[in-house]
Amino acid sequence: MSQVAQQLFNALQWGSFYALIALGYSMVYSILMLFNFAHGDVFMVATYIGYFVATVLLGLSLSGVLPLSGVAIFVLTLLLTMFLASFIGIAVERVAYRPLRDAPRASAAITGLMVGIFLETLVLWRLGASRRNFPTLIEVSTYQIGPVQVTNLKVLTIVLAVVLMILLHLFIKKTKVGMAMRAMSYDYAVIPLMGVPLDLIIAFTFALGSALAGAAGVLFGMAYPVLDPYMGVLIGWKAFVAAILGGRGSILGAVAGGFLLGFIEILVAAVLTSTMRDLVAYSIVLLILTFRPYGLFGEEHSVRLRL
Amino acid sequence: MPLLEIKNLTHFFGGLRAVHNFNTRIEPGEIRGLIGPNGAGKTTVFNLTTGVYKPTEGQIIFDGQDITGKPPHQIGKLGISRTYQNLRLWGNLTALDNVKIAFYGRIRYGLLGAFFGINGRYEEERRIDREARELMALLGIEGYADMVVSGLPYGIQRKVEMARALATRPKLLLLDEPTAGMTPAEMEETMEFVLYIRDTFNLTIWLIEHKMRFVMGLCHWIQVLNFGEIIAEGTPQEVQNNPEVIRAYLGTAVT
Amino acid sequence: MQRSFELPSGLRRWYARLRAAYQDVPISAWLVGMLAAVLVEALIGRDLAYILGLGNLPSFFGLSLIFKKWQLIPNILVFIAVVYVIPALGATYLVRKLMARLSGRGLTWLDRLPSWGYILFNLAFVYVILHFWASASDYRLLVLRLLGVNIILTLSLNLVNGWMGEFSVSVAGFMAVGAYVASVLMVWGFVDDNVFGPAVFPASWAPFAFPIALIIAGAVTAVTALAVAIPSFRTRGDYLAIITLAYMFIVKSSFENIDFLGGARGFMGQPKVAESLLVVFVWTVLAVWIMYNYVTSTLGKATSAVRDNEPAAEMMTVNTRKVKMVAFLTHAFWSGVAGGLYAHIVGYINPSSFGLVKSAEILGMLYLGGLNSVTGSILGTVLFTMLSEILRPLKLIKWMVIPVILIIVMIKRPRGLLGFQEIRLPFLERRAAKADEEVSHAPAGD
Repeated sequence: MSQVAQQLFNALQWGSFYALIALGYSMVYSILMLFNFAHGDVFMVATYIGYFVATVLLGLSLSGVLPLSGVAIFVLTLLLTMFLASFIGIAVERVAYRPLRDAPRASAAITGLMVGIFLETLVLWRLGASRRNFPTLIEVSTYQIGPVQVTNLKVLTIVLAVVLMILLHLFIKKTKVGMAMRAMSYDYAVIPLMGVPLDLIIAFTFALGSALAGAAGVLFGMAYPVLDPYMGVLIGWKAFVAAILGGRGSILGAVAGGFLLGFIEILVAAVLTSTMRDLVAYSIVLLILTFRPYGLFGEEHSVRLRL
Repeated sequence: MPLLEIKNLTHFFGGLRAVHNFNTRIEPGEIRGLIGPNGAGKTTVFNLTTGVYKPTEGQIIFDGQDITGKPPHQIGKLGISRTYQNLRLWGNLTALDNVKIAFYGRIRYGLLGAFFGINGRYEEERRIDREARELMALLGIEGYADMVVSGLPYGIQRKVEMARALATRPKLLLLDEPTAGMTPAEMEETMEFVLYIRDTFNLTIWLIEHKMRFVMGLCHWIQVLNFGEIIAEGTPQEVQNNPEVIRAYLGTAVT
Repeated sequence: MQRSFELPSGLRRWYARLRAAYQDVPISAWLVGMLAAVLVEALIGRDLAYILGLGNLPSFFGLSLIFKKWQLIPNILVFIAVVYVIPALGATYLVRKLMARLSGRGLTWLDRLPSWGYILFNLAFVYVILHFWASASDYRLLVLRLLGVNIILTLSLNLVNGWMGEFSVSVAGFMAVGAYVASVLMVWGFVDDNVFGPAVFPASWAPFAFPIALIIAGAVTAVTALAVAIPSFRTRGDYLAIITLAYMFIVKSSFENIDFLGGARGFMGQPKVAESLLVVFVWTVLAVWIMYNYVTSTLGKATSAVRDNEPAAEMMTVNTRKVKMVAFLTHAFWSGVAGGLYAHIVGYINPSSFGLVKSAEILGMLYLGGLNSVTGSILGTVLFTMLSEILRPLKLIKWMVIPVILIIVMIKRPRGLLGFQEIRLPFLERRAAKADEEVSHAPAGD
């Protein structure tokens, strides 16, 4: 029993990463009907950005130039990384998607893939040679709550992920830009007629998704400090699957899919061996999609084909 | 014996009743009209007849055979073909290929022939090519054969679609608003054209149309659909003077 | 093509004369010219390369050397001119003269060959050229054989992503299944192995059993593809992309967990049955021929009809389910065969060689060459491979240059270089194309 509770808690943390990244996939999909195949690598780059920001801040703090507590550094790192990551997203949109907006969707998928490969190689080339560890910003402390062992980092991850999702929800529901995003996901074609600046909204969507990936990057880096240029491929593609599982273009679906995939993976690893994780997890995904082709929260109208 | 007989056809979309208790008998050689205000369920009747939807209730008998619930490609093979209200051509292919693919149901060389060039594939392909070109020549569009269809003028596209429909060798041809978007002069031409293909290919024609002149001038018998039900039927004159019909049309916009 | 620079008038006159001299040279003369170039390379290439300071015989016409030592560019140009251009043009010219003199006699047997004979003759000729070229180094041989495999993969993927208009990403997954099945069969049959026991058949049979093993590998791959095909054909859109992605992860993870196949460590010891270029060449030609036959038949063209408008295709008697199934299973079958070939060329496979990277590479080749085009797939694969080999000296940076090039191509030509059109290959089509072989589509404007 305690085992189960423990694993559920771990799954919540693991699912938080997926959910945060999956949101980026879903938001772009809901507006452009297009999978941003470079998003995983945006997450990877964001993690590296987080690493540099954290290292610099920590260095400033230790040398006494800017004395800050670990928590303050963390908060600053998180905000700065999210801010900087959003520009990566905007750049990706600019290079890979905007010139191809009227082209067949598959061509845009290819440019997205290529941007991803470019980013991986760039990071590998400039930063990959030496092993880099995400600095420790917050000392890990462990608490025992009933049968479950929790660490402050894991709690932080889960809480922050939920807070960010709520903020995103409010943003989409309440603000003008959010409203424009929703309108666009409803009907792409008429939006320019209504005086909404199309390019701006699309760029903003990419920025928002990338900022969330940036947050995921910082949290991921703190939990699993060894950085790897291919982490975008490993984690990003799974988050992509999570987004699909939840339902293409559905924000709620992305969150649900992220946590669901996290649960599936952690539970498979706990019950069977961890090498079986991908095999069983994806088989379950395949099974779910066979019975719900549009995912848990997806609807048929959201998969209009624009080839 | 009627070529097409539909008995008590009823169809629901979810809880919405689109067609209710529709009956018809179409004799060989007839030109039949189906009219009614927008959203009356006319296209749904066509879609049910051609197997796009499986009817909730009712029976469709074509050429002495029960075709209820059969998939469209089988119904097409049995001899029903159609054109669409908004053109549905295969835009990336040439006009000729659009027509040739409609021979699909009669290709005999099979997959082995397609992959390995055996089973008389080349002779058959030559025959299909020749017949498709002949068909296009009959409709006066042979000059466009090798052009990609999405780049052709609208009127030519309509004829390509007609040629494609005829390439399946139908006995019954369903025309869904064949004069949509046409000028009165073009409509006159299309009337001639419909008579021409009926006589050339020995067709029975069932058409949906809004333009009264067109329907009145061509059809032998007209059925009027409103809210999925037949509210009147008869010869063009009878229908024209039917108060129910006038009410149905005046209730909505007359197009 | 617009020429953006102006040649000096003297050179321009020369160029015009050169063009006039080679305007309607028959393809056979060109082939002889290419053969001459390859033979000259075999004779003097090594020595000339040494004299010009290029080191060993350059593998790709010295082009990759440019990225190692740009100072050598003049030497490389001299090398290319002396070894390839002059012999090729010279021999072509001579042969053409000879043919003109012999016309009406001697060489006209070439014209009297039936269509298939002409094609076979020219293919054999092409093979001879490639053979001589490849025999210069093992590296060239390996690149050429992998090129053949990639052509099969790209074209088979084109069936689904191009003609059928869906988006499959599971090429690597299909490859993996084919590679493992073929390897197991061949190792079980012809190798003394710890897991599969002693060889069942004499080793000398292996080359003859290899085709059977490949066909079985392809068939098994197609059967596993059914697991993807059956649920995914109920919907259109992006569903296939996702489900093929899941399939690929499942396949990769499965092989990582099968211990007697070596798990993540991999599987080796495949008998050497794909060492020669001929084996791969024959399989590549066979695959291209069969798929070309299909997509040019009316039966196969119906696949495009399903893509462009499925309900209309269904009404026009096309059995759309069957058409989609055939395209997808053909894709799976040939990817499996290519995987089997790959395993025996490399002689070692492990699950991580069949990941997303592999799929992305094939997708890159496909979209570079263009959808709905047999020649486009071949061109895309050749260009991509050449690019990849020429840029090899750049090491890591290669994988930044290639994506950039592909992005530029996609932006400039969103349908790829040859999307929805074919180039005529004169050595395969002697006479005016017959109606049933006609495949050229003008680029469609949408």
